[in-house]
Amino acid sequence: MCSNQKFAWFNLAVIAFTLSVFFGLVPLLGWQRAQGALGIAGLMGFGPLWFWKKRGQVAMDERDQKIHFHSWAMAAGVMLWLVYVFVAVFLVPAVYGQDGAVPVSVVQVSVYWSWLLANTVMSIAILVQYARASSDVQ
Amino acid sequence: MSNENAETLTNRIRALRFANGEMTQQALAEKVSVTRQTIIALESGKYVPSLLLAFRLATAFGVKVEDVFQYHSGTPRGRSPT
Repeated sequence: MCSNQKFAWFNLAVIAFTLSVFFGLVPLLGWQRAQGALGIAGLMGFGPLWFWKKRGQVAMDERDQKIHFHSWAMAAGVMLWLVYVFVAVFLVPAVYGQDGAVPVSVVQVSVYWSWLLANTVMSIAILVQYARASSDVQ
Repeated sequence: MSNENAETLTNRIRALRFANGEMTQQALAEKVSVTRQTIIALESGKYVPSLLLAFRLATAFGVKVEDVFQYHSGTPRGRSPT
């Protein structure tokens, strides 16, 4: 397993843990206060440590960089269409009305969830691209 | 619909590896500064390398780039092969 795959699995594990804590706290603290659990997702900030290379070791080559870039492009595309186009253009006007005001907390939640979504899409895209080229023959 | 006109790039990396003292994928990967997975992807034709990596591979085997990689051009639409 290369650094990119470890990075993707690490992100998915953090996201899964964050969501399980969040949904576990919702019945106890309520929907809004349970969102404090989303802060656990900040652990993804340690993800780049997987690319720490030892002397003489290649942590990321040109193919890994391409896969990483394509994955981010996919994540950005999903974020753009789902979050900004669907939520901002269709969902928010439907819920709050054309002349309504969007609460600040909704904006914050949108940012948190879209960030989680983008990282999930990116991580899955990384794993799928490696899985496609894994005929492991020596 | 078949893709008969597609351009392809084949390579002889696997053959050259064995011709060079049965070099392992890991040894070649270290020589050209890539991961072993990239060598696997190259050998199976699932990855087209950059020009720089192509030259590094050729240098590692001590041959010319065209001895490692073979370009097969597709026939452009509306033209017959000459």
